[in-house]
Amino acid sequence: MTYDSTDGANGGPGGTGGGSRWHVPAEDLRAYARGELAAPMLWSADTHLTACAHCRGVLAEAADPVALDAGWERLDAELDAPRPGFLESLLLRLGVADHTVRLLAATPVLRRSWLVAVVAVLLLTVVAGRSGATTGSPTLFLALAPLLPLLGVALSYGPALDPTYEMAVVAPMPGFRLLMIRTVAVLGAVLGLNGLATLALPWYGAAALAWLLPALALSATGLALAARLGPVLAPSLVGGGWITLLLVARTGREAVTDPLAPFTAAGQGVSALVAVLAAGLLFLLRDRFDLNRARGAGGGSGGGGTA
Amino acid sequence: MTPTVSASGLSLHFGGTRALDEVSLRLSTGVTGLLGPNGAGKTTLLRVLATAVPADRGVFTVLGHDPGTSRGRQEVRRRLGYLPQAPGFHPDFTAFEFVDYVAILKELTDRTARHREVRRVLDEVGLTGVRGKRLRKLSGGMRQRTALAAALVGDPAFLVLDEPTVGLDPEQRMRFRELIAHAGEGRTVLLSTHQTEDVAMLCNRVVVMAAGTVHFDGTPAELTAQAGGRVWSSAERDPGAKAGWRTGLGTFRNVGDPPDGADLLEPTLEDGYLLTLDGIGGVGGLGRGGGFGAEAAA
Repeated sequence: MTYDSTDGANGGPGGTGGGSRWHVPAEDLRAYARGELAAPMLWSADTHLTACAHCRGVLAEAADPVALDAGWERLDAELDAPRPGFLESLLLRLGVADHTVRLLAATPVLRRSWLVAVVAVLLLTVVAGRSGATTGSPTLFLALAPLLPLLGVALSYGPALDPTYEMAVVAPMPGFRLLMIRTVAVLGAVLGLNGLATLALPWYGAAALAWLLPALALSATGLALAARLGPVLAPSLVGGGWITLLLVARTGREAVTDPLAPFTAAGQGVSALVAVLAAGLLFLLRDRFDLNRARGAGGGSGGGGTA
Repeated sequence: MTPTVSASGLSLHFGGTRALDEVSLRLSTGVTGLLGPNGAGKTTLLRVLATAVPADRGVFTVLGHDPGTSRGRQEVRRRLGYLPQAPGFHPDFTAFEFVDYVAILKELTDRTARHREVRRVLDEVGLTGVRGKRLRKLSGGMRQRTALAAALVGDPAFLVLDEPTVGLDPEQRMRFRELIAHAGEGRTVLLSTHQTEDVAMLCNRVVVMAAGTVHFDGTPAELTAQAGGRVWSSAERDPGAKAGWRTGLGTFRNVGDPPDGADLLEPTLEDGYLLTLDGIGGVGGLGRGGGFGAEAAA
């Protein structure tokens, strides 16, 4: 865009022009008023007009008042609009609706759980690699990997962990929908990272993927139980149950080199069945997420009792 | 006229604690103040009426819908504005982003219309100038106004405000009262507060709760009248008074049952409120010779 400091049509440089020496050419201002000025000149004009009273005055004379109001509203909207981060931009390009992206990306709880999961997975990868190098088995990796999505999901929603939970629970958007949006995001991220960690263990072949079905089973069970037990107790019980199961399986196996029962073909089948049943139960109990689980906690995060 | 809220026999227990006990209430357009000491059940009642928690017993409708059903609850929530006692914030959000987030939760999915509505409510609470600031950098009063803006998104017919002026300095409190008074025009507002001044300045109706039950339901003038002829001045503290304290004038202001010939004073809303609570088991109220009960004065 060209700015002309000597353009008589613009009233000349400086003067009462809001302290700006440069002004938008009158022709561009007329195009701007008609809504016909194209980017990037449009962006430059937007930026300049916010700081230059002179050009705003010229624009006001050139513009249809209705069109001008609409232009200001559009400008206001653009200035106010939250700036999408990298992930949000990516999701928007993939066709995800703007409001869904905001729900996903503008949730610090989710980000925190995300970071926790990332760090844990990275540590896990290192530990699993070392473990595999000495025992010839990915058992530790397979045991811990299913807990990560369970942890991530547990951290993404609930009265104790979401500062806006009380406002969200009385909003017309169904709590189950919000829960599912966040769950999909967390599962997508953590399962993806688990998958990358699996790729770092190529010598185990498909056996290194035996965490996937248990991960889905634990996450679905944790969510289903959360409908009745709340978002802290339910995943804690499920995680504890998983560890107990592995310890029992470890005690019961015939040889140290045998895979633990959950990682055998039969165990994988059981995991798949549990995942499906838990998902069904979760769907049946979906309305329970529309009410505050912490009935006596004054709204959860705030914690005020029965004031 | 159909009341905005019609509740009968609402009860709710948390374990062994009786939070609400047979509460009956009808609310219509205007600002209703909900007064009561800590533990009176104010927040619980607000949360029940805001559909956050279900009651154990009782029937009630909000805006003509039954919040006990999934469909009715959704309908109520579409026309409800709720400012919780301790509204949570994502501190990295700007004021605009926070209200925008709540607007999405309120099913405003069209981006342009939603942003227009966000700007409208931020303007209504006087935060247009700081809409781009991070919440963690705003004062407590501004954060509270941001939460009020979020509650006002969608122009709700029923506004539930749980102690919105707590923690605010006098100037902020006055500013907030102006906002609530404005918000109460044409709406039903239920305002929980510890501040009798809030009720005196804002409300056309007041409900006093203690121990989970309603003990008074009327106009602020009627609550004040409860203390009519029961507040008097004396040079020394009257030993027969339920409470008495030295005022800035050097005389004592006594509340209770005055002796014959006492120099009666004009009662205030607070006098009426404290005398209403007096004698309610487990609440505190006025202790004879011991001044105001700590809980009642809190």
